[in-house]
Amino acid sequence: MNCIQKISLYLADTSNLPKIYAAVICLIAAIGICTVPFLTYHGDQLYPKPAEQNMSPLTPYDRGGVPFIEPAHIAAQYPENSPALGYVTAYLTPASWFLANTTCYLGTTIVGHPGGILDEILYYTRGLDTIVEASIFFVAFAIASFLYRRAKQ
Amino acid sequence: MIEYPLETALPSQTFGFVSFSQVSLYQIGITIAFVAIAIAFSAIVREKDDIHKMLLIDLIEITGLVVIVLIATDLAEALILPGLVVGIAEIMVISELWLAKEELQQKHSVRKLDIEVMQTAPPIIGLMLAVYGIFLTGFSGGLIAALGLMIFFLGKNMDERFAAVENAAGYAWALWVLAFLIFMFIPSQWFLAVMLAAVGILLKVMAKMSLVGTMRGLNNV
Amino acid sequence: MFEQRLIQLPFGDIVHSLSGYTVVLFAFAVMFVVLAIISLPEKPVDIVFGTDGYYTKEIPVDLMKFQRFMAIACGIATIGAITTGDVFNFTLFAAFIGILNVGIVAAVKNKPVLDAAFSYGLVIMMATVPLFAGAAIIGATCGTLSIGELMKAGIHAPIVAKLFLLVGVLGEGMAPFYIGKAEITRSPGAPYILMIHVSSLLLFLRAVEIFLMV
Repeated sequence: MNCIQKISLYLADTSNLPKIYAAVICLIAAIGICTVPFLTYHGDQLYPKPAEQNMSPLTPYDRGGVPFIEPAHIAAQYPENSPALGYVTAYLTPASWFLANTTCYLGTTIVGHPGGILDEILYYTRGLDTIVEASIFFVAFAIASFLYRRAKQ
Repeated sequence: MIEYPLETALPSQTFGFVSFSQVSLYQIGITIAFVAIAIAFSAIVREKDDIHKMLLIDLIEITGLVVIVLIATDLAEALILPGLVVGIAEIMVISELWLAKEELQQKHSVRKLDIEVMQTAPPIIGLMLAVYGIFLTGFSGGLIAALGLMIFFLGKNMDERFAAVENAAGYAWALWVLAFLIFMFIPSQWFLAVMLAAVGILLKVMAKMSLVGTMRGLNNV
Repeated sequence: MFEQRLIQLPFGDIVHSLSGYTVVLFAFAVMFVVLAIISLPEKPVDIVFGTDGYYTKEIPVDLMKFQRFMAIACGIATIGAITTGDVFNFTLFAAFIGILNVGIVAAVKNKPVLDAAFSYGLVIMMATVPLFAGAAIIGATCGTLSIGELMKAGIHAPIVAKLFLLVGVLGEGMAPFYIGKAEITRSPGAPYILMIHVSSLLLFLRAVEIFLMV
């Protein structure tokens, strides 16, 4: 049995595929470590997160704006494609408006309410990403429940 | 606390022979991420057992999220969510596939957890979590509410309509697509779209995750 | 050929468009979606060895419906991957195609097929790591994820990001694993099983365009 036969025999077993694939990724990660000096961070990013922030109740997610009146300033990729840019970021639900005015710590839980910068990105400017992600979840559930129900028949 | 901006070089530091004069924080982070990826994937090369492979792969998906986090903007926070959900979806399919492959779907018909605390506590905890989740809305709200429902179902022999809940999740998905279309084509109605999206995602996540709590091999679903 | 944009469909930050190159891929994908919609499943015939006897396998209706749904969805996801103008959105469509391919294969109740589907499932789970890592490295080092902007600015993506994206696409589309493919496709379910090949081929061709442009 020569070398090529051994290799093809090894590759013919599908249970070896994950191993080969993982080894290839290890190799690329090693190449990545060698090329780290060429990877420089681009300073001018989209949707920047300011390093120094004022001490408002919304602190980590405060991007300015007044609900319904004044939109927040958002550095989107194509602002001309999103006419209502910034309104979702500025919006606070009545409950979170109340909390923002009475406590100092709404910023810790704001991602759980409608409105805010993350909802702006997830629902509006990059909404299609979230649609695809939801579809992946949908299809995954369809496959799992198909397999599950078939076993019950 | 580290307060250096990501793109600027750290002040010159000398560790032994090596001088890190021109190394930015991003480069340090990405180096660590690459090392983590190499270590994580070398574990797959060595592992032989199927279920351990599955668990390890579920873990190593975190290394992909680490690289996303290194963008360090609001965009990075938003991109983590799709990354995380794709991982959850895939582990769900692959684990069901593993059960089908090993023909374990019929064997382990789990009955309800027959301990005293599971008869009294789940309705209370489940209700509390569900109400809080609905108050939060959105993705995190859906997860919390779903956790409540899962705990509730764990303590019961349920005979609820599996297909009906699945359909509800489908309608919620359609609601969300509708919200996206409103955002894109009628931007002036952004408020309606935000509310539709928040409710849609709450229903979708809640319905699906609570169904996971019911998929325990009983025949009456 | 690559630069010219024929049609543009903006969705906020993600702009879908067709160039002279991708319009061909698009037409190909649409053709196979139509084929998946109109065609009926193939019935395999097994010949009993050494005799004249043979038997045909019946495809259950629910299996047929499920595979057809998966095949159509896979075609639509392929169209999405072909037209998208955003690196991260492209990686998500690639992950979508991967999970749909697993769905098409896993529907068949046959031990060797399920074994192969499980191995492929592990590969697609792993492939999300290089895909997202590649897109994130492009985002961090170039400051944008939009392919159009990267082209306009003439920025070249780092080589390691391209390698990550390449190996991720190979994992999701299982294009290099033709050996594994032969195992997987030894199953009833034609013509829906064809969609696996079509989607992985088109995904790979689209990835080539992205690598040449950024």
